[in-house]
Amino acid sequence: MKFSSFASSCLIALAVVSTGCDKSSSNTDAGGDSTAPVTESNLVGTIKVDGSSTVQPISNAIREGFIKEHPEVDIIVSGNGTGNGFKSFYDKGTDISDASRPIKGGEFEECKESGVEFVELPVAYDGLTIVVNPQNDWVKELTVDQLKTMFVGEEAVKNWSDVDPSWPEEAIQIYSPGTGSGTYDYFHEVLAKKSKKELRGDMNLNEDDNILVKGVSDNKFAIGFFGVAYYEENKDKLRAVPIVNPKDEVAYEPTTDNIASNKYAPFSRPLFIYVNTESLNRAEVQTFVEYFLVNTPEVSEKVGYVRLPEAVMAKAQTNLDAVKTGTHFVDESGESRSGALTDLFVDENLVK
Amino acid sequence: MATATSSSVDDGSPPPESGYPGGGFAVSTDNSSRRKLYSRLFYLLCVLISGLSVVVLGVLLVSIGWQGHSRLTWDLLQNSHSELNPDSAGMWPSIVGSIFICGICAASALPLGIGTAIFLEEFKPNSKPLRMLHSFIQLNISNLAGVPSIVYGLLGLSLFVFMFNVFGRIQVNESSGTELFGVNHYYQVLSLAGGGHTVLIPQEEEAEKTIKIDAPTQAVDRDGQKFELAIWDPASGEPKPSDPKVRERTVRKGQGGGSYSETKWYYLRLPFGKSFLAAGLTLSLVILPIVIIASQEALRGVAPSLREASFGLGSTKWQTVRHVSLPAAMPGIMTGAILAMGRAIGEAAPILVVLGAAVAKNSGPQNLMDNVVTMPVLIFNWAGRQQAAYQELAAAAIIVLLAVLLLMNSAAIYLRQKMRVG
Repeated sequence: MKFSSFASSCLIALAVVSTGCDKSSSNTDAGGDSTAPVTESNLVGTIKVDGSSTVQPISNAIREGFIKEHPEVDIIVSGNGTGNGFKSFYDKGTDISDASRPIKGGEFEECKESGVEFVELPVAYDGLTIVVNPQNDWVKELTVDQLKTMFVGEEAVKNWSDVDPSWPEEAIQIYSPGTGSGTYDYFHEVLAKKSKKELRGDMNLNEDDNILVKGVSDNKFAIGFFGVAYYEENKDKLRAVPIVNPKDEVAYEPTTDNIASNKYAPFSRPLFIYVNTESLNRAEVQTFVEYFLVNTPEVSEKVGYVRLPEAVMAKAQTNLDAVKTGTHFVDESGESRSGALTDLFVDENLVK
Repeated sequence: MATATSSSVDDGSPPPESGYPGGGFAVSTDNSSRRKLYSRLFYLLCVLISGLSVVVLGVLLVSIGWQGHSRLTWDLLQNSHSELNPDSAGMWPSIVGSIFICGICAASALPLGIGTAIFLEEFKPNSKPLRMLHSFIQLNISNLAGVPSIVYGLLGLSLFVFMFNVFGRIQVNESSGTELFGVNHYYQVLSLAGGGHTVLIPQEEEAEKTIKIDAPTQAVDRDGQKFELAIWDPASGEPKPSDPKVRERTVRKGQGGGSYSETKWYYLRLPFGKSFLAAGLTLSLVILPIVIIASQEALRGVAPSLREASFGLGSTKWQTVRHVSLPAAMPGIMTGAILAMGRAIGEAAPILVVLGAAVAKNSGPQNLMDNVVTMPVLIFNWAGRQQAAYQELAAAAIIVLLAVLLLMNSAAIYLRQKMRVG
């Protein structure tokens, strides 16, 4: 009797599911018989995407638009982190890898070893925002050197007054994303890569950016950093610190314009997708990646990031059309190059 | 916690003649009134402790309700995750996904768990080596109940997702492991019609993953009808066909195509890959020890006299288990199963390991090897977003998760009551 009832409940569940299986997504527009194109898309296939959780919203949003046009394509966008994404990518587990930093030498080697060739496409900018509590009235701007004294190594300063004598003699409370995130990697790279040091070990690390927002907004003597999208949503609780650009010695706020024009340096980072060239032979992947490049400027802005300069997007399109494999961000010896995207993303730097 | 609180109230020295609990005598002495006082204090302490847990639960429910009530709409139940307009985002695919995974989990863990418990309780061996094996199994099961679920997630990854790479690996553009049934392989080639219109060409050689169309060939349309695929060579100077119907059956000379696997709902392959089947089986590992231990306790609670009476009437061991022990223990077993399923539906860590962190999907699983979104993973993703809309959605999704859990449990409790009466 137990089993019969279990079976019947299974049947009920199945019935419920099968009736509701074809629920399409939140299509606000009735995508039915609006002036239909001459031919309905019957593109089919499965595209696997994994990588940075920072880029995941962009890929999700692109997917959302894409399946309105090509409803039968199945796109799985996971967000297990940039490093894990590359691991799946060179193990041939995914077609496309989302990355919030360029590929590293080691990962590039792994790709070569397993015979994975890829096209590297930048899709948006993300500004890394340094935030303080709104009640913090002493920090007007910060230089990269000041940030180094605050964040790098075990000899990093303890009090605000150690950075600038006119500042209060209170301990600095630091809130930082977790060590597994691309954001942490990027911050580390800007401040401590050259000196071959690590960031200080006594920061409050948390993978959940909302916790970081809360930490800084509850604590007058706190400082933190995370992606610009989080700052945009929490402008009322935080204050972004203008950062002095090392090139022209002027402090810039992380505004959309400053990030896009590369004035907000060195803390604006490009976001990428890496596409397996073998997958590009498949019609669904080819179509999806082309759609991605065309739509990423608007879509990235919608989900809180900054569009790339048109010249960069045009270059990306050219690289995709010519299927130029390799990376621009690792030199021949396997060392990562550092510099602005606009300077590095040129043909001379392409290493296969 | 209970002991700590009780020792702070109780001074720790029990009355010297503690006979019957709380006032069993009519004679009133110093001692008895003190004992009655202790009894009352203890009663109050119990009320306080149980009240405390209810208050904590109440606070949680109220805060979640406060945060999520505005998002409890039909949209939430009907739509799928949306990045472009969070205001109309929903969780339908995740509800379906969670129910499917829990179904697989129940179908595999409950029979296995209850069977194991019956073996351990009712068929205790007599010979020494077998007794040692028995106690070894028992010890392992008791320990496994305390293993963190993420460890099971990693186990499920090797055991179900990759199957230790024994059956080959699932790699894009290369291999799909060992496919058993429910799949046809085609090449997909873009036709001249544009707008993502493609034709399918049956794949002869499984190892050949790409094709280049240089000559007219046999293709199939989406209804499975064969037709002759025409070629248009831009270099030949011929005009591009203008009729859309012709364009749909023509491809450019030299056009490439990649492989596409058309799957039926019963598509099965080894290893299982990142599929809801693998996730359900992994969750069944998580709850197996709980089911076994609860079922054992229930079977232990059946009075031995019942079994002896059954043997006395001449039943075999199996008949005794089937008609005496198991029915008597069923309510307890069901209780264990309910608790275990409650844990399974809310488990996020093993699912994240096995399925990854995908949240954007518009439907439940389309075949046995399909990836799904589950409620805990969706809630985890939404709760970590910066937009306030997603924070509210996460709270609302928690309410829905609790409601689904409550529904499942009430069904099970109803069954349990029916068995009690029967």
